[in-house]
Amino acid sequence: MIPSLSAASGRSPRRAVLYPSSFLAPAFAVLAVFFFLPTVFNFVYAFTDWSAFHDDIRPVGLANVKAVLSNGALLSSLRITIVYAVLVAIMQTGFGLGLALLLERDTRINRFARVVFFIPVLMSALAVGYTFQALLKPDGPLNGLLGALIGQQVTIPWLGSTTWTVVTVAFVNSWKWMGLAMVIFLAGLKTIPADVLEAARIDGAGRWRTFRSIRFPLIAPAVTFNVATALLGSFNGFDTILATTGGGPAQQTEVLDIYIFRVYGNGLFAQATTMSLALLLLVALLAFPVIGYLRKRERVL
Amino acid sequence: MKTRGLTRAAAAATCGALLLAGCSAGNPGTSSDTAGPVATTWPDPGAGLQGVTLTLWMSTQTAAMADNVIKAFEAKTGAKITKVVIPDVYETNAPTKLATGAKPDLATWQPTGSMLALLKPSTDLQSLDGAPWLAKQTPAIQKLGLVNGHHYAAFVNVPSVLGVFYNKSVFQKAGITSPPKNFSELLADAQKIKTKGVAPFFGAAGDQWPTQWWPQVLLAEASKKGLWERVSQNKEKFTDPEILGAVRQFQDMVKQGLFNKDDKTSKYTESGPALLKGEAAMVLQLTSFASLMQSTADTATIDREIGWFPISKDGNIATSVPGGDNALVAFKTGDPKRESGARQFLRFWLETYYPDYVKSAGTVSIEPAVPTPAGVPEVVKQATAALGDAAGSMQQNAAVNPDFYVNLANMVNGTMTPEQVTSTTQSQFAQLAQALGIQGF
Amino acid sequence: MRNSARAWSRLVHPAVVIVLAAVVIGIPLWLALVTSAKSQGEANLPDLSLPRVWHLWDNYSQAFSQGHMLWALFGSLLVMVPSVAGVLIFGSLASWVLARRTGRVMAVLYSAAISGIILPPAVVTIVLLLRQLHLASTPTGMVLVYMGMYMSLVIFFVTGFVRTIPVEVEEAARMDGARPLGIFIKVVLPLLRPVIATATILICLYIWNDVFYAFFVLGGGTYSTLPLNLYSVASSNLYQNNWNLVFAYVVLMSLPLIVVFVVAQRRIISGITGGAVK
Repeated sequence: MIPSLSAASGRSPRRAVLYPSSFLAPAFAVLAVFFFLPTVFNFVYAFTDWSAFHDDIRPVGLANVKAVLSNGALLSSLRITIVYAVLVAIMQTGFGLGLALLLERDTRINRFARVVFFIPVLMSALAVGYTFQALLKPDGPLNGLLGALIGQQVTIPWLGSTTWTVVTVAFVNSWKWMGLAMVIFLAGLKTIPADVLEAARIDGAGRWRTFRSIRFPLIAPAVTFNVATALLGSFNGFDTILATTGGGPAQQTEVLDIYIFRVYGNGLFAQATTMSLALLLLVALLAFPVIGYLRKRERVL
Repeated sequence: MKTRGLTRAAAAATCGALLLAGCSAGNPGTSSDTAGPVATTWPDPGAGLQGVTLTLWMSTQTAAMADNVIKAFEAKTGAKITKVVIPDVYETNAPTKLATGAKPDLATWQPTGSMLALLKPSTDLQSLDGAPWLAKQTPAIQKLGLVNGHHYAAFVNVPSVLGVFYNKSVFQKAGITSPPKNFSELLADAQKIKTKGVAPFFGAAGDQWPTQWWPQVLLAEASKKGLWERVSQNKEKFTDPEILGAVRQFQDMVKQGLFNKDDKTSKYTESGPALLKGEAAMVLQLTSFASLMQSTADTATIDREIGWFPISKDGNIATSVPGGDNALVAFKTGDPKRESGARQFLRFWLETYYPDYVKSAGTVSIEPAVPTPAGVPEVVKQATAALGDAAGSMQQNAAVNPDFYVNLANMVNGTMTPEQVTSTTQSQFAQLAQALGIQGF
Repeated sequence: MRNSARAWSRLVHPAVVIVLAAVVIGIPLWLALVTSAKSQGEANLPDLSLPRVWHLWDNYSQAFSQGHMLWALFGSLLVMVPSVAGVLIFGSLASWVLARRTGRVMAVLYSAAISGIILPPAVVTIVLLLRQLHLASTPTGMVLVYMGMYMSLVIFFVTGFVRTIPVEVEEAARMDGARPLGIFIKVVLPLLRPVIATATILICLYIWNDVFYAFFVLGGGTYSTLPLNLYSVASSNLYQNNWNLVFAYVVLMSLPLIVVFVVAQRRIISGITGGAVK
């Protein structure tokens, strides 16, 4: 406890007085009524026969859960979701870091380039999806450019491969958001104290060594933020994928959110909410440990 | 602190009770009067409707369809029509929005039994039995849009049928002088075309939904003999030889290379230009394919270059697939003024304004008394003529609509076998039928 | 040795940057811009070619009027500004308390508060609730929904940041007799500038481009947002899209954000770095 400087009192007041509980009220009120309440009800519906086809709703116990678990399509969708999220986290954070390092110095060209790379962040996901859908056609501009470079005709089905399109789609999403990761990393790099870097330079450390041992560890909070936003964003967002491939080809980019959307569209509302339960469990089991690890890493340093 | 926690809990409980009250009613404001037919009044189409606002839900595809009708109606009656364009996918978002308690007065909707089921027709839609315009429409149309024997959909456009659009010059160069009379002849013709180095069929499997037409036309004869009704009663399954055989034959066609090379990624929008340029010989599609061609070529060119014939397993039976732009439904909102206003709007469109509508839309007329305007491509007229004898598609005759096309597209991409396609589709069919409460599932 | 290092920084590095920007960002943007100037038929199969006939003014004015963009812009601002302000104020207030106090109750409350990050918002039940409260299709309802959705995000990031602020600073203010609210506003809030700036950008982006929740809460009512009205221009007839109008619309829709970013670029970045100038 910090020794009191005031002559009047002998001790600091209780924490509850310093940090009143009433400050929690507005946030929790909004959360409770406009988030938790509907979400809990949504999960309650998973145990009913709620559908588009009839008005009354009757409980059905674990029937939906059993049906969903025995459904192979769910497992496939889970796998695709995980692969997609991991790819996005790696690519988005990686590209952002690369761009930040490239554009670190405050030259005029660098500052201009920073704005340019941030533009996709400001575009709507639909626009990004449609643009890349056109760019990546087998007879589209990208293949045309590659063909011109190589001198041969190139017809790579960027969005038509049942194995690799998920990588393409992860790339498109990273393309959209890497500008934000770049800005966060730029901020992180700027907060590294100059004297630490000066000491390293005096000790004769080269650029790579300085980066690996000093700069990268010190931007841990930025890494956490970017990986966290990338993971959580890819788990819950599906606009880009929907606009680029619609979940295809052959459902191989149908992340869980899109699958749930399709089941909703069939009128099977209760089954859809059961699957959101599955998605929730997935995110809880995967994202939180990763973020927790990254947070701990911050504190150690 | 303890009291604060209690107050919060109390607030949550109240809201919970409110929510529950809302839940069990499902859709607030629904009129649950299904005790028997109520005599519907059919207001005069031009009657004054000052101060009445009607909401019309449309998909992005149908958004511009009714603009002229709306303007004329508003001018004539003083009513106001608010057009709401629902984002894609219409058939997913509209029922979900209905589930949140929103309710329009009118909506464009695919007039098949399986799709109407998503709107709870017996409780939420106005019955259009005995509507004055019904007698004015062709007999073929009067038989459509029924659920349990009641009319719920008002047809404004001619329903699409499936048929083969073909490039006349490619056929000539391959030495084909008359259209094939059954599917085996079609395949033989396709081989002839293949030897000439042209892709026989343009598949557009990249959009997924075009793949389902192939098994469906192969099942046209079976459909006429009641196939889909039997499937809807669980007396026959997708995995049984009839449907499985059709899926297998489609797969054979893909394996024999009868489709365009980039079939797996090709899109519907590419099929029009491809056919017109002769890069592919044939496209199996709905009548609406003609309007795709019209976006890059004029009617004269289309009449000159493109021909049409229906095809089925053993003959030339067309398969009818009413589409999302074919009809409107009117909702029971509980407000008698708006409900009658909705009926009045439909009367206006289909009786008073119909000749002008057909002319401005450049579409085939569904009322024998109103002539089809000039400028409508020949192929459209031929397709429409085939409607009378057409077989019903799965969408039309089955009780529910599984994602058959998704599984078929997977098969084209090589990730599913025909057996897997049919068993996956069957289990989804059973799931939907169960949700609908159909006996036998 | 030094000359080559300087050559790198003077010539090669900028060249690499420009080429990278042109290819990675320039080409896709070019496609969007070029398609927005084409006719509907030409734009049906979008590519990098210049339009045969330029329809730039026609497309943009049609997208603007058919999409009722002015009204949609008003709607977007109307829901975005209060949502962001509300969620930041309430969220940071709560985060401050959650970060400083200890004990099991606080830990449980914190876990509950941030659980919203992983829970997908339940759109149908939220709208049913709004309907019960007579808030469906209203901007107020939309604001409350957005606040509910992003509160956890704010609490998650701000709490972490508060823990890096030394308590001494607050102690000093308290010694001078300031009440908790005063301490929060005068001392803590300014120090939270970096994380608040970051959170503002993130949430503004999410809300500005959100189609899904805006549709179910506001769609079909009097008020509309920019992403929603895109669908009014999206299609001409069955199975075909007005790509030219679509791209014109999304360019127009992104313009306000781009303008704000270009103008306030330095402020935004310095806000995120907390004014730590190098």
